Amino acid sequence: MQRDSIQRRLIATVVLSQALLTAGLILTGVLYTYWRLLSTLDTSMQARALSLAALVRYNDNATGDVYFDDTMIPPSIDPARPDVFAVWANRSGLLARSDTWPSNVELSPGSDQHWNAIWGKVPYHVLRMSKVPILDRVEGPLSKGPQTLSIIYASPTVRLRQQVRAAGIIIALASLVLLALMAKFALRGIGKGLAPLQTLAEQAALVSTQNWELRVPAEVEKVSEIEPVVRAMRDTLGRLQRSFVQQRDFLSNAAHELKTPVAVLKSTLQSLLQRPRTSDEYRTGLNQSLEDTERLERLLQWMLRLARAEQWAHGALRRNLELVDLNSTCEEAIERIRNLAHSRRNDIRLSTNGPMPFRADPEDLRLVWTNLLENAVRYSPEGSTIEVAVTRDKPGTARLTFKDSGVGISAEELPHIFERFYRGDPSRTRATGGFGLGLPMAKALIEAYGGTIAAESTPGRGTCMTVQLPLHTN
Amino acid sequence: MRVLIVEDEPRLAENIARGLREAAAYAVDVVHDGEAGLSAIQANPYDAVILDLMLPKLDGMQVLQRIRQAGRRTPVLVLTARDDKESVIALLNAGADDYLTKPFDLGELLARTKALVRRGKGQASPILAVDDLQVNTADRTVYRNSRSITLTAMEYRVLEYLAHRPGAVVSKKELLEHLYDYNWEKFSNVIEVYVSGLRRKLNDGSSRKLIHTLRNQGYVLRA
Repeated sequence: MQRDSIQRRLIATVVLSQALLTAGLILTGVLYTYWRLLSTLDTSMQARALSLAALVRYNDNATGDVYFDDTMIPPSIDPARPDVFAVWANRSGLLARSDTWPSNVELSPGSDQHWNAIWGKVPYHVLRMSKVPILDRVEGPLSKGPQTLSIIYASPTVRLRQQVRAAGIIIALASLVLLALMAKFALRGIGKGLAPLQTLAEQAALVSTQNWELRVPAEVEKVSEIEPVVRAMRDTLGRLQRSFVQQRDFLSNAAHELKTPVAVLKSTLQSLLQRPRTSDEYRTGLNQSLEDTERLERLLQWMLRLARAEQWAHGALRRNLELVDLNSTCEEAIERIRNLAHSRRNDIRLSTNGPMPFRADPEDLRLVWTNLLENAVRYSPEGSTIEVAVTRDKPGTARLTFKDSGVGISAEELPHIFERFYRGDPSRTRATGGFGLGLPMAKALIEAYGGTIAAESTPGRGTCMTVQLPLHTN
Repeated sequence: MRVLIVEDEPRLAENIARGLREAAAYAVDVVHDGEAGLSAIQANPYDAVILDLMLPKLDGMQVLQRIRQAGRRTPVLVLTARDDKESVIALLNAGADDYLTKPFDLGELLARTKALVRRGKGQASPILAVDDLQVNTADRTVYRNSRSITLTAMEYRVLEYLAHRPGAVVSKKELLEHLYDYNWEKFSNVIEVYVSGLRRKLNDGSSRKLIHTLRNQGYVLRA
């Protein structure tokens, strides 16, 4: 299995770039050596060509005719491989050609030039010179005038090539040794450089639901590439922990809250079975059990509603939102509570100032308003009035107030009313059938829409719940 | 025997009270909050208290601590929704005699309450024996000399109370306090009726008297 690895990628990059560098070095070295050797060869060839020019002599007849004195031909540059040459005079034509001149090569005098050629499978460097003055001097004028020479001098480059090749091999070997050393060094460096990742992984593996803290050694955390990773991990862990703890608390609270209704139901059934009963007693007992079960069912419904609201508040559920008028959701909630309010002769008054469009799931809003209204009605004296007002507060904020003139909430209870399962006075709330889940759910839903909910209360005078919702964000 | 139930969930209190009345023939008082529980315990000599922990006004733990500080030795069985070791240990160390976690078994609650009452009276066995008389508190049967004796509910209550404290002089007031809930004063004359009925049934076919009347003091059960 070929796995992607940062280490492997880094090593590949380093080795590849070093290989390129080495190749460049080898090439440069070889070319430079070649160029130096060739220019040295050129110089030697020029010197020899000029020596040949010195071998051209004027005849004694003062005509300006020349001859080539082949007794003092300079030795070949490479003693093992003879140089070749040809000398022309501009009037006399070809004066001399070396014995070693390759048989099938025909060259004529021309402009100054040097080039490489392969004659008879032997590589040569060829130098052609023109207008080379004759160095020999005679007394008196020459009847046909002085002549100039054209010289072609070629030297085999076999040895030069061998030297270049040898230099190339030496440079290449040295570079490869260096490359290997550097690769090893880079390997160790990269391994060391990536070690903090290993440490981070080991520490991250220690994080669990019992231990949420990500401990990273300071020297690892201050690595600039690791630091943002650690920060992101800590942020995520923090959010997970809050969410986990909340879920766990909810579960344990829920289990705790379920125990009492289950104990009621169980004891009702067991006391029914304690001894033979009349059918009327059984009927009464069964009706009681049914009531107990219904209470249990209501509690479960509330728990599920709250769990769903919180799930959504945490962004775990997606919903289709629509543009609704806050006023009409209030009217619908008032309609739902009408029977309860009617039975207690409570009046609910709604005051609005113009439509208040808001993007939401209307059922969420109805649920929250119904909840707040139900509390208001339950804790209000019979015949009193509950006032609901929908106003535009600051620009872009809707403000809804639910005001009752009920028993109020004491200062010591007020900070806790949005806590799950909190019941200020159990005997009182039990009488009203509450589970301590309505306000936490209202809070979760309102906060899911980016809003806030707050309570003000004066014991004996009444309570005012204020909801603020941002209109612009959605 | 007279037992107090301090439980804010009315249905649960009602079910426990019914169980204790029917299965143990106890007199049962019920209150729904901690303060009422505390004053009831201070005012009446209960043979056992069943105390819920989560109570309005004054929680069960505080009730427990206050009655123990006041030197009350009444056996207390605590009902709790929490069953973790720490809270159970804290409960017992605060002076609770026993505990049950919700949801509990009604039969177990009754058995534990009986055991607490028994221990509170210095008895170990559910079968109380005085001479040739045997009172089985588990199934509420009475035998004398292997002969079964059928008693009315009130006669049994009187005998059970006396049998828990053999040899001790029990005043009429004490009997009334332990056999009736709340308004026991109005029953004061009935005790004599129960005692005489009881005496007649116990002595049937036997020459030895077991229930003795001490004038102006009360009754005593002994051989």
